[in-house]
Amino acid sequence: MPVRIVESPAPSNSSSSSSGANPGQTCLQPCSLLSVGQAFSGTQNVSSPHKEEAWRVNVRIQGCDLSHGYLCGTMEALNVPMADTPVVTFWEGEIVDTKNYTFFTNKWKATSEVDIEHWSKFPSFSPLLTQVEVDGGKSLDLSNYQYIFMRWKEQYFVNVGADCGLTIAGFYYVCFSCVDGSINGYYYDPNSSPFQKLELKTTNEGRTGFSFSSYELQ
Amino acid sequence: MPGSASTTSHRSESLITRLHSASSSQNNETKLKVLRELKNQIIGNRTKKISYIKQGAVPFVVSVLSNCDCVNDCLVVVQCAAIVGSFACGVDVGVTAVLEAGAFAHLIALLSRDNVKVVDAGARALRMIYQSKVAPKYDFFEEKNIQFLISLLDRNNENVTGLGASIITHSCQTHDEQKILADAGVLKKLINLLGGTTNQRDASLESFATIIKENPEVISKFVGPENGRTWCTLIELTKDRYPRTRLLACKCINLIKNAAPSYLQYVGMRTKLILVLLELLDDPGQVGDEALFTLSSFIEDDEGLQKLAFETNTIDKLLNRTQKELLQAKRLQGVFITLANICSNLECCRSILIQSPKALNFVTDALTHTNVDVRVAACICLKNISRSVKYLSAGRFMTESVIMPLIQLLFDTSTSVQVAALCTISNIVVDFTMHKSLFVQNGGVKQLVQLSKSMDSVIRLNAVWALRNLVFLVDSRCKEVIFMELRALTLTSLVSDPSASVQEQALALICNLVNGPVDSIEYVFSEDGLLMNAVGRQLWSASKPEVLIQGMYVLCNVASGKEFHKEAVMHQLLPQPNNDGTQSIMVTMLQSDTAQLRTAAVWTIVNLTIPTGAGALARVVKLRNAGIVSQLKNMVNDPCLDVKLRVKTALGQSMTFGDFST
Repeated sequence: MPVRIVESPAPSNSSSSSSGANPGQTCLQPCSLLSVGQAFSGTQNVSSPHKEEAWRVNVRIQGCDLSHGYLCGTMEALNVPMADTPVVTFWEGEIVDTKNYTFFTNKWKATSEVDIEHWSKFPSFSPLLTQVEVDGGKSLDLSNYQYIFMRWKEQYFVNVGADCGLTIAGFYYVCFSCVDGSINGYYYDPNSSPFQKLELKTTNEGRTGFSFSSYELQ
Repeated sequence: MPGSASTTSHRSESLITRLHSASSSQNNETKLKVLRELKNQIIGNRTKKISYIKQGAVPFVVSVLSNCDCVNDCLVVVQCAAIVGSFACGVDVGVTAVLEAGAFAHLIALLSRDNVKVVDAGARALRMIYQSKVAPKYDFFEEKNIQFLISLLDRNNENVTGLGASIITHSCQTHDEQKILADAGVLKKLINLLGGTTNQRDASLESFATIIKENPEVISKFVGPENGRTWCTLIELTKDRYPRTRLLACKCINLIKNAAPSYLQYVGMRTKLILVLLELLDDPGQVGDEALFTLSSFIEDDEGLQKLAFETNTIDKLLNRTQKELLQAKRLQGVFITLANICSNLECCRSILIQSPKALNFVTDALTHTNVDVRVAACICLKNISRSVKYLSAGRFMTESVIMPLIQLLFDTSTSVQVAALCTISNIVVDFTMHKSLFVQNGGVKQLVQLSKSMDSVIRLNAVWALRNLVFLVDSRCKEVIFMELRALTLTSLVSDPSASVQEQALALICNLVNGPVDSIEYVFSEDGLLMNAVGRQLWSASKPEVLIQGMYVLCNVASGKEFHKEAVMHQLLPQPNNDGTQSIMVTMLQSDTAQLRTAAVWTIVNLTIPTGAGALARVVKLRNAGIVSQLKNMVNDPCLDVKLRVKTALGQSMTFGDFST
């Protein structure tokens, strides 16, 4: 007999303390689609008012430490006009788990208004908005939420020099879907075109299914 | 110089002859003269001690001692005891000779004499004996022995109380012994002695450390901050004017912290202790060496303390010292172990070392040091530094200057060096910059494969671990070279290794091997599917979730390939026709308590039931008949979100062929 699938609930509000600390808050649950070795591909819209433009982008997850809310990997932009080769950057991510990081960035020239403006572009953020406006989401329990919010900040160019004419000054507001591994993001840099949209889907490298790999540091 | 040696030899022979005569002489002056001469020759001279021990001097001295009257011959007694103590001091064969000659009982008897000089001499000699590893173990389980020990600690004599402390330091090894001593009030007596002379204080601190070492029960009962006086005394002694006393006080506090971290929560105190230990590093001798190891132990396994060490510029202080002077092996070992511990969790610490070419060279140069302990420590340091994914991604470690000495260490004659090098290599070969070929081309794989066949399970485990990490996201060419070196047969035997940890790493290796381009899946089908069958067998027989998870992910990856691959996975998962009554291992995996195993199992089903495949319908029917689909239906509300979402996908895919439940 088929059983009705219980839809994932909206994140609960575990606000019992209003202090900065979050005792009892748990880390996010691991999601196999957001594990090391996983690859994603898609585009980043870099259109300006004068020109429609999108770069093809590949992303690979290289490190993941949920207990510290840390994720990192590389991002490869393929058809960058001023570059002869694909441009690879290394990025580090802050996972909004309300334990290590909240929805408020508090750095990288992002005010809480900028934060909320960007997060609000993700439909999955709307159930969280009210609480985030209050405390940055500190009192939310996102451990069973089907979406993972992150900030990805590029740290260095892997295969080209810093003088390549490109900038990595900004950072991405990212929303990852645990359901299908799709990634949406918005690049924020006060000196670049606003709301450059990043859209990525999990890739299967010619396979008819999902494949996984792993390493373990000693 | 031959002439000189010969003269010395003659002189010692003549002294032995005179000693022999003196031992039977009644003339105390004669005895004293010979004994003084002997004492003057051997004090501080190891070579002469050994020479006289070989010539049988010890029994003569003990014979004189045993025949003396402590009242009238006290000068002779004192000389004899001093000589016996000197023979025992720092020379294990001397201790053995003294014990075999029966000196122990005579020396103990001296402790109960009235003459202070006699008592002092006896106690000093016994302390020398108890400083040696070969000294007999004191039996604390005998009530009378405990009483005797307490009587020693109660005496108003520095040498006697020091002897009591030495007996404890030498003989107390087990938790039961620690408990007996603590219950008998020994800790309190030692604390009382901390107010005495420097020697008393140091000896008491040392035996205090022995009684509390790794014993939370004793610590909670007798030592913690609630035992205000003890705690305050220890804290106060970290400011003592004598470096050794400060060191020993820090050691005691470190032992208390390691057994009961909650006792040292106050950040100010934690920082102070680090600063005291850093200052003690200025001591060029044993105190400096021990301070380094104490600091290393203090910050080990505690990220908060590692951060404090970082904030107090420990890294800079250690590195500056290494640039100013040529360090002895022990000090170098301590520096590397301390750096390793500071870098074990914190990226900011790793960055300092990686961004300084001098610092990184300092570590890699030590990989070829002549001392085994230094080589091991340098490997551990490099291992912890290379936990940085950020710098692994930048390819900072996959360079010839790092890789070449590490590969050489795989041939080291010391097993501990080999293991340490393997652990470091395990991290470094994760490298994301596609430079793994550097390791492969320089013979690294060949030696890893060789070590994966070692009789030593620790070496085997770490060799396979390194291979697993090397194969992670490696390009197809390197993968081919690695597989050719490994061969399916070796991998098959590693999958069924007696050690579950080796099995786990071997299966993870295979998982990485069949990941990537779809052609990679063929590796498990080479040699008539030797590997595939080995993985299947392991899934049916293994019980450890860690092994099963990796095995299941191998099947998951294979099931993401072509139709033929998916069918091969079905063949491994379902019971053979002649075992119709057997439950599929897939049901067992889905019912596991381990969420990761359930996740791997459901992913495999997702891959098997992707509706576009020609054989998908037939596979869904088989899975349903094996009870797997109905098991999935039981899991739609799985507590693990990842499992729940994959179950939803798998059921959705199965339903596209119709709901068989009606």
